[in-house]
Amino acid sequence: MHDRVERAFHTYRFPYGEVLPSLDELARYLHMEEDTEHPAYCYMKERLAGLTSSDLEAVGGYAIGTIEGLDLQGGTLTVEGTTFEVGAQVCGYLKEATEAALFLCTAGALFSDEAHALNAQGEFLEAYIIDAIGSLTVERAMDKIHKALEVEQAARGMKITNRYSPGYCNWPLKDQRPLFAFVGENPTGIALSESCLMHPIKSVSGVIGIGTTARRRAYGCVICQNKTCIYRRLVQKG
Amino acid sequence: MNEILEKLFTCIEFGKINTASPYPPQMRGQEGAMELTKQALDAGIAPSEIMDSALIPAMTRVGQKFTEGQVFVPQMLLSAKAMNAALTHIKPFFQSGEVQRKGTFIIGTVFGDLHDIGKNLVCMMVEGAGWEVVDLGVDASAEKFLAALEEHPGAHVGLSALLTTTMTNMKTIIDKVHETHPEVKFIVGGAPVSAEFAKEIGADGYAADPQDDIKILESFLNA
Ligand code: B12
Repeated sequence: MHDRVERAFHTYRFPYGEVLPSLDELARYLHMEEDTEHPAYCYMKERLAGLTSSDLEAVGGYAIGTIEGLDLQGGTLTVEGTTFEVGAQVCGYLKEATEAALFLCTAGALFSDEAHALNAQGEFLEAYIIDAIGSLTVERAMDKIHKALEVEQAARGMKITNRYSPGYCNWPLKDQRPLFAFVGENPTGIALSESCLMHPIKSVSGVIGIGTTARRRAYGCVICQNKTCIYRRLVQKG
Repeated sequence: MNEILEKLFTCIEFGKINTASPYPPQMRGQEGAMELTKQALDAGIAPSEIMDSALIPAMTRVGQKFTEGQVFVPQMLLSAKAMNAALTHIKPFFQSGEVQRKGTFIIGTVFGDLHDIGKNLVCMMVEGAGWEVVDLGVDASAEKFLAALEEHPGAHVGLSALLTTTMTNMKTIIDKVHETHPEVKFIVGGAPVSAEFAKEIGADGYAADPQDDIKILESFLNA
């Protein structure tokens, strides 16, 4: 066993007002046209307006460590004594990295709690919209943290990669455990279930590579392999 | 078809809930699913006829449009809300036995997984197709399914999983349930699941979307 290293967790807090999706963004995500008469559109507008003035926050951040090993064949990444089985694909994406930022971020329990209550009342549409706002909010908060890391690293002449998460690109979800252990004490309040899922549900976790020649690349629907995804059907149609 | 039922069909298809609902604009001020169902009953149309000739076919139409990519989730949910409004008048007849449901469908997202949007859509559409739906929510264990089966003998079971790591829990649940209830039929679904995988783990069917699921359920009736 390694001695427990006290690693600094860089914390970021964003009031909802700063990280909620815009009405346009939310509409695009739900494949809705601007339609001021559609109940879904009206609800989206009303709910976003209400949440903007909330004093609740999204909380997240990262802990940085030096990469000691990157085994492209075996698909493992070792950061200061912790080994992650990220798989060959993510290893490839991290090839130019010399340091890694392991991150966590949550938008809090509000969204899922509210969606749950609304579903129980038969308000399916409203539940779906609140759920979608939560998904976008945590991503937006993480976008800001990603950006902040980029600025911080640029100051020391370093570049950064995209972010990659357990559960994506064949990186097994069970690596949430070493990830949480690596990150250590942190103020996000995210708990890991036995099956390695995070509570609150609207949370994300993962790694960002740092290096002088690291870079961001194309991502999203373009590289996804999921044949039955309903979003793919829409992309192809549109 | 009767004029009221025809109008009711349109209300469900486009999500016109009641007179007060402003949507769709071309139906503003007109009666919605809520009022038309009441009118149909008052006019002496049997509740089973309302289900079979208007409500179920309208939801089938919505399901087809979703499968074909003509409507997306919000539109489908709006139709489900209109359907729910109509069902508030029909539900008493389920209880009295005057309208028979086709059967009971117990559904849940398997333990370890908390994705529920797809499962929720399946719930609504199956209910709209005339089935009683028992939703066990997310992170549902084999014990939870067994308890629900005790309460609803003869029910069919649907399992949802969105993670490659949790889809294997489907097999655990099927095996556990089959130990004491070998007759129970399982339908599995969720993005990473396939027909081959369903076969491998001993499920009776795989459905890519709610419409598919309903077809399989109906095939169980005729078996
Ligand atoms: C929305 C979403 C989320 C939301 C969940 C919201 C919710 N309430 O469910 C949020 C943002 C919270 C989330 C989180 C995560 N997610 Co997620 N998520 C998705 C996403 C983008 C869409 C799923 C969805 O809702 N689709 C829309 C519905 C309508 O479609 P559906 O679920 O497939 O259901 C349809 C059919 O499959 C079928 N169906 C579904 N169930 C059933 C059941 C039966 C019985 C039948 C008959 C049919 C049926 O009918 C439905 C309608 O057609 C998918 C990617 C994708 N495109 O599938 C990833 C995805 C499922 N998530 C994934 C992962 C890894 C995660 C995380 C673990 C990532 C992380 N490390 O942070 C986290 C977990 C967070 C946590 N708390 O631990 C991965 C899973 C990888 C894998 N195969 O193992 C996916 C595939 C993304 C990817 N990598 O491309 N996620």
